[in-house]
Amino acid sequence: MKKLSYILAALVGLSMQFAIAQTPKGSILIKNATVITVTKGTLENTDVLVQDGIIRRIGQNISAPSGVQTIDASGKYVMPGIIDAHSHVALDVVNEATAPIVAEVRMKDVVNPYEIGIYRALAGGVTVSHAMHGSANVVGGQNATLKHRWGSSNPADIIMQDAPRTIKFALGENPTRVHGRGNGIQPRSRMGVEAILRNGFSEALQYKKRWADYNAAKSQKGNSMVAPEFDERLQTLVDILDGKIIIHCHSYRADEIYMLINVARDFGIKKLVFQHTNEGFKVAPEIAEYTMGASVFADWWAYKFEVYYSTAFNAAILQKNGAITSINSDSAELIRHLYHEAAKTQRYGGMTDDEALAMITINPAKQLGIDDKVGSLEVGKQADIVIFEGHPLSSYAIPQMTFVDGVKYFDIKEDKDDQRQQVSATEMVEPIMLTEENHRCMQDTEYLFETANALFSLHNH
Amino acid sequence: MRKTLLKASVMSIMMGGLFGLQTVFGQSDPTGKKPITSTYAITNATVFANPSSEGSKATVLIKDGVIKGVGNNLTLPAEAKIIAGDSLFIYPGFIDGASNAGINKQEPPKRPDNFVSSNPPDEIAGITPWKSAIDQFDVSLSQVDDLRKMGFTLTQIIPDGGMLSGKTALVVLGEKNSTNLVKENVALNASLNGARGMYPGTTLGVMAKFRDVYKNTQLTKERQATFASNTGISRPELTPTYMGMMDVVDGKIPVIFNVENDLEVRRALSLQKELGFQLILSGLKEYDNVIDLIKSSGTRVLIQLSVPDDKAIKAQKDDANESVKAQYARVKEAYDKAIAQAAKLEKAGVAFAFTTSGAKTNDLMKSLRTMIEAGLSEKAALAALTTNPASILGVSRFAGSIETGKMANLVISTGPIFQEESQIKHVVVDGNIFDYEIKEKKKNGANGNGNGSVSIVGTWDYNSQTPAGSSGGKFVISKEGSSYSGTITYQDPSGSGQATSPLKDISLSGSTLSFSFDVNAGGMNLTVSVSGDVSGNSMDGSMNITDFGSFPISATLNPTLIANKKP
Repeated sequence: MKKLSYILAALVGLSMQFAIAQTPKGSILIKNATVITVTKGTLENTDVLVQDGIIRRIGQNISAPSGVQTIDASGKYVMPGIIDAHSHVALDVVNEATAPIVAEVRMKDVVNPYEIGIYRALAGGVTVSHAMHGSANVVGGQNATLKHRWGSSNPADIIMQDAPRTIKFALGENPTRVHGRGNGIQPRSRMGVEAILRNGFSEALQYKKRWADYNAAKSQKGNSMVAPEFDERLQTLVDILDGKIIIHCHSYRADEIYMLINVARDFGIKKLVFQHTNEGFKVAPEIAEYTMGASVFADWWAYKFEVYYSTAFNAAILQKNGAITSINSDSAELIRHLYHEAAKTQRYGGMTDDEALAMITINPAKQLGIDDKVGSLEVGKQADIVIFEGHPLSSYAIPQMTFVDGVKYFDIKEDKDDQRQQVSATEMVEPIMLTEENHRCMQDTEYLFETANALFSLHNH
Repeated sequence: MRKTLLKASVMSIMMGGLFGLQTVFGQSDPTGKKPITSTYAITNATVFANPSSEGSKATVLIKDGVIKGVGNNLTLPAEAKIIAGDSLFIYPGFIDGASNAGINKQEPPKRPDNFVSSNPPDEIAGITPWKSAIDQFDVSLSQVDDLRKMGFTLTQIIPDGGMLSGKTALVVLGEKNSTNLVKENVALNASLNGARGMYPGTTLGVMAKFRDVYKNTQLTKERQATFASNTGISRPELTPTYMGMMDVVDGKIPVIFNVENDLEVRRALSLQKELGFQLILSGLKEYDNVIDLIKSSGTRVLIQLSVPDDKAIKAQKDDANESVKAQYARVKEAYDKAIAQAAKLEKAGVAFAFTTSGAKTNDLMKSLRTMIEAGLSEKAALAALTTNPASILGVSRFAGSIETGKMANLVISTGPIFQEESQIKHVVVDGNIFDYEIKEKKKNGANGNGNGSVSIVGTWDYNSQTPAGSSGGKFVISKEGSSYSGTITYQDPSGSGQATSPLKDISLSGSTLSFSFDVNAGGMNLTVSVSGDVSGNSMDGSMNITDFGSFPISATLNPTLIANKKP
C-alpha cells in the first residue's frame, strides 16, 4: 500500500503544484493588552511577543528584543485571528458544476489574490478562510485554506501550504436541482445523492485495487499486466477513504446529515465536517460522536425549502452536545463581522466568552486540521492576531489591526480609501454584480438551469 | 491535412490545365494573372536586414521565393523585374507568433442523442488534439490579406476549438493557389476555456482535464511500448485524443497556451511544472506582475499586439471632485502601466514576440507605436516582429532577417516603419509581391515631398458658422520635432478687434487634425475644440464650444514658401 500511494502520489503530482514560496514573517511586541487566548484563559495587562511569525512569549513585562517593533495595546483586546470555515472569497471560479462528482478539481488552481474581499475580511479580523468549491455537486472540488497575506500577486503566497487537504460535498436541493432536475441525471432526489456517494466510494475501492494489483504484478517476472487508466477523480476518493482529506459537507436536513454519517461509517471515513447543518440540533449527539463537528450560520435560514426548520440555538445545542462547532460566513459581507455572529450564541444559548470566540477561532481550526498552528494565542503557534477596540463580542467592537504571521496587513489608521490591488485601464467604474446576496455557493452554475425562473427565484447557499 | 493537400494539388492540376501547364507552355496564360517573372530586384533601397541594422542603401535580389543577394554591386539577371527602391525602406517580413487569420470558425459538432453533459465525448467538449489548423485554413479569407497588408508574411495558425483545439501549423500568407504550408504539427494549442454547459465547464475543470489527458497519454505510451515488445499483453486502447497528445508527451512539440493575464500565466506554468511539457505562452495582455517569473522560467512568450483602449482615460473630466480624481489617477496609472509592459519585458531581457490573435488588425501598428512611446525600443519592436518569433517558432534558419538564402519575405515601406506617416507599399511573401495602394494624404506642408503624408504646418485661413453669424480668422501651426504648436486669431468676443490664443493639444491622427483653445468671453473661460478632416490644402470639420454646441468650420492652408520648404 505504501508503495502504491507513493507511486500514485508521484503520478498524480499530489505534491503541491506551487513551490512553497517564502511568505513574509514579522516580529512584533504587543504590550499591555487584555489577551484573549481562547484556549488558556484571558490575561489582563499582558504582552505578546512575536518573532519571525511565531508567538514566542505571552506574559508580563516582556521587553522588546532589538529590532522588534512595540505596539502599545493598553485598553485594547488581543485575540487570535478569526478563521472562517466556509468562504468563497478570492476564487476566480467557484463551481465546476458539470458532473455529480468532480473530486479532481482543485480550488488552488483558481485562487485570486487580488480580490478585495481578502482585505475586507482582514478588516473584520479574519486571517484564515476556507476557500471552498460550491455546492452544485454531490462531491465538489478540493478546497484551499487561505492565509490572508494581502498584497501578494502570487496565489501560492495566500494559500496556507501547511494546511491539510479538504474537499467539498453537498447534499439536498442544490445537487439534485443542478443534476437531477437541471440535466436529467442522477441525483434527482436525496436517495440519488446517497447512491452517488456509495457508488463513488465503491468505484474508488475498485480503482485502488486495480492499481495495487498492477503495482504488485509489475515487478514480477513475466508480468503481462499493463497500467490501468489513471483517474484523479477516483484517486481523490481513495485519498478520502485513506483519511488524507477532510470532507466538508454542505447539508441542511437531519435525515441527510444522518445519511452521510452512515455512509462515512460504512466506508470507515472519520474526517467529516458538516457545513450549514441547519437541522444539526436534531442529530447533535450523532454529529458529536462520529464527526469533526458542524460549521453553521448564527441565525440565517428560510432562503429555500430545506432551510425552514432552523433555530438560532443551533450552535449552542451542537456545542452543548459535545460537537465541535464553528460559525461561518459563506459570504463576502458576513466575513467582515464574524465576531458579531459569534456573539449571537451568547444571546441564543448563553455561551461563555471563550465558548463563543472558540466558534470563530480554535473550533474552525480543528475542522480545517490546522489547530496545531493557528486558532488560539499560544506560544509556538503562528502569529495570526487581531487587536480590537472594545471586547470582540461587544456590539461596539472594532478591529484595529490584523496580523498574519506577525505581519500587519490591516491597520484602521492606515486604511486608504482605495485598497484595490488591480485597477482596470479601460473602465472608469468597474462593473459590480448586483445580486440579492453576495453568496456564491452556486456561482458559475447559472447555465445549468433550464429556466431563468429557476435561476432567479431561488437563493443559492 | 491530407484533404487540403489533395485540394491544393487538384487545384494546381486545374490551374495547370487552365494555364496550359505553366512550365511547358508558360507563354499561354489566358487569365493574364501569372507573373512574367519570379525574379525581382528592389534597387537602391534603405535596407534594414535585421533588428540591429541601422539601415543602409542596398539592392535586394530575389528569385523563386529565395533571397539571392543583398548589396550594392549585385549583377542583376536579365529576367529580373526592377523595382526602383530609392525612396523605399525594406524590412524583413513580419512573423506573427500566433494568429487566427484564414481560420474558418468551426461549427460545434452535433451532440449525440445519448449526450450526457457530465461526461461528453472529447470532440464535443473541445478536446480535439488530433485536429490540425491547416485543415481549417483558407488563404483567400480577407483576414489574411488584412494581416499581410500590415507586413506579416509568416504565421503560426491556431486551430479553432476548445481547451485542446488541435495542432498549429506554420504558413506563409502567400498566393491563393498554394497551400502555403511551411510545417504542420508545430505545437498543440491549449486554453483554459471550458466547454459551455458540459464537463469541463470552467478553468477548474479544464486544469483537471488537462492533467487527466496528459497522464493517460503517458500511460498509453507505456502500454504501447509494453505491447510492442512482449506477448500476452492486452491491446492498449488508442484514442484519437491520446494519439493527438503523444508528440506533446514525448517532448517533440510544445503546448502553446493561450493566457491573457498574470494569473492565467501562473496556471499554465503550474501545469507545465507539474507535468513537464514544453511551453509557449501566447496572447498575454496583462503580465506586469509576472515579468520576473517569465524571465526566470525561461518560457517563450507571445505578447498580444494590442494596447487597452484609452476611452476611459479620455472620458476623464476636469471638474471632478477629489475622490473621483483619485480614481481617475488609478485608471490612468493602470493604463500607463499596461502600455509600458512590453518595454519592461524588453528591459528584463526577455526575447518576446507578438501574436495578433485577438488583436484588431487595423490597430496593430498604432498599438506598436503606443508601446514604443511608452519605452519599447524600435529595435526590440522589430525583433519582436522578426527574429524573436523566428527563433520561438524554430524558423530562424530561413526566416526573420534579410540575408542571402533566406525566404523572400519582405516589408517595403515608404518611410521608417514605425513612423506614423510611413505606409507599406509592397509586401513580399515567399517571393510573391503584393502591392498596396499608397494613400495620397496631402501635397504641401513641411513633409511635402509628394509621397503622401498629411501636413498641417503653415498658416490657415478659417471660417466658422455660429448662430451669431459667420466669423473667421487665421491659425498658424508649426512643428518642432514631433510636437506641434500654434496660435489662433479670432474676433474678440469681449470687445472689438482681434484676439489671439495659443493652440492646445494639437494632434494629427491619420488625416484628422484636432486642437483646442481657450477664449475669454466676458470673464467666462470657454474651451473651443476643433476637429476636422484634412484633404490637400483644405480642412472641413466642426468646432465644439463647451456648453454651447457644435458648429461647422472650414479652413484653407496658405501655400507659402516657408511652409513648403523641406526641413
